[in-house]
Amino acid sequence: MTAILRVESAKLVRSSLVLTGLFALLSAFFFVVFPAFAEEAALIEEAFPAFLAGLLGIEELHTIEGFVGGYVFSVIWVLFAGIYFAYAAGGLIAGDVRARRMDLLLSNPVSRESVVLQKVAALWVPLVALNIGLFVVVYAAAAAIGETLDLVSLGVAHLLTVPYLLVCAGIGILFSVTLDRVESAQAGALGLVFVLWLIEGLSETAPEYDWIGIASPSRYYDPSAILVHEEYALADAAVLLAAFLALLGIALFVFVRRDI
Amino acid sequence: MCAQTETLDTEPDHDATTISLDGLTKRYGDVTANDAVSFDVGAGEIFGYLGPNGAGKTTTIRLLLGLIKPTSGSAAVLGADIRDRRALTAVKANIGYLPDSLGFEERQTGRQVLDYFARMRGDERREELLELFHPPLDKRVETYSHGNKRMLGIVQAFMHDPDLAILDEPTSGLDPLKQDRMHAFLEEERDAGKTIFFSSHVLSEVQRVCDRVGIIRNGGLVALEDVDDLLKRSGKRVRVQLAEPVDESAFVTSEMIDVEIIDATVRFTYTGKPAELLEYLVQFAVEDVDISDPQLDDIFKHYYGDDSPSGAG
Repeated sequence: MTAILRVESAKLVRSSLVLTGLFALLSAFFFVVFPAFAEEAALIEEAFPAFLAGLLGIEELHTIEGFVGGYVFSVIWVLFAGIYFAYAAGGLIAGDVRARRMDLLLSNPVSRESVVLQKVAALWVPLVALNIGLFVVVYAAAAAIGETLDLVSLGVAHLLTVPYLLVCAGIGILFSVTLDRVESAQAGALGLVFVLWLIEGLSETAPEYDWIGIASPSRYYDPSAILVHEEYALADAAVLLAAFLALLGIALFVFVRRDI
Repeated sequence: MCAQTETLDTEPDHDATTISLDGLTKRYGDVTANDAVSFDVGAGEIFGYLGPNGAGKTTTIRLLLGLIKPTSGSAAVLGADIRDRRALTAVKANIGYLPDSLGFEERQTGRQVLDYFARMRGDERREELLELFHPPLDKRVETYSHGNKRMLGIVQAFMHDPDLAILDEPTSGLDPLKQDRMHAFLEEERDAGKTIFFSSHVLSEVQRVCDRVGIIRNGGLVALEDVDDLLKRSGKRVRVQLAEPVDESAFVTSEMIDVEIIDATVRFTYTGKPAELLEYLVQFAVEDVDISDPQLDDIFKHYYGDDSPSGAG
């Protein structure tokens, strides 16, 4: 049974393409300023408030790797894409229940588990569109300004966005099966992802605050480390995947038992 | 990929029970939406589930489909206990459902909607149904009128040739011609051995197509009987406009109840045959006659008393 997956995937195509285009534009904008930025990088790095540097995970800003990791990935992937996935997943169930589409859908010989799993699986569309689109854009833009990025590191940086974004989607789906209003589910999910991101940034400012970021998904994805130091934190990715599965499991548990 | 229904497509057994409710109860806090509702629907009958808006008809249907869980009591649909999710999901391949408020993917065209459901449960009767009911298939559902949506709903409910169709206010929004077509279609389905569970708040519709009727009010089942019996007891609402005032004793017969005479206008409920009434009336100087179905509430008042099970509507 893949009927729901097909329809849900088709519904996500347009927004995924628009988002990929927007992020490509944003990346291009970052790259345009990079040459001028690199010259003043030392100064900028020094002037950066610790909180902001912690938020973005800034390191080695004068190198293209540090710049891409600290700016392009931190802003576009960790913040914007994370918020998008929370928002998109937040709309998967609540809206259908409220508009009574779920009544008709569940009159088919399809289990509630299958409905949720197929809808979440449809997020492959933005996941693939964004990763392929931005991989190409970032690599090409770096080449255009005469810089080269290590293809393997860039590939891993992209690959490891997947578990991170899945956790954001897991937060969204949990809100979506719990709340009745689609607006509340989406706002709650994206708000929580944003707050967790802020908390993680705060926790980076001082060692004594370190523990407060432990529950933030962004703690477990560090694009600067991947691009600058070629440190591939696979254990962190595993933590994210486990968290996603746990969130999905709870969402299934809730959705299967609730009244619609 | 699509669920096949061959295994369940056995010859319908008229003695078999297709739907069986046993003390089915659903409470929302203090509100009792369904209060210990019990009845059976046999295979090959059109069962009318009649009640005013807000009586709890949709709640019963949503319980039967497993969309909501009963507070107590149980029910079985095509042999599957509604509390057994797996079993209920499996028999849904053989159920057609037409909800009261139709939630389609608004951006899909009618054709895409049907393709979507066809992938989940088949569509061997789609073309045949589209000859009877023809929503504009190439337009998006968001542009559909109420009637077009209802027609699309009817097609999707029957296109996989289910043994059981659960229809919630199926003719609302349909024009009278399509309503007649729907009624005729349901009778054909019944004659082919299909079971139809038909909820409505329109008495005349239920009288016309249903074999048996359950009447629900304020969440409780207040009557369960053959439609013929109900017809006999419900009668017709009649208003006669005479040329001049008439004496009550000269006009009223034993078949007339609830008689109200104001000047030259007589209102009453007629429990006899309409033809006999017309024969009777010719002896008076009648200026106008208006014969209509009684309001459901009148029937409740006259035949079931005003005592209703506690709870809200």
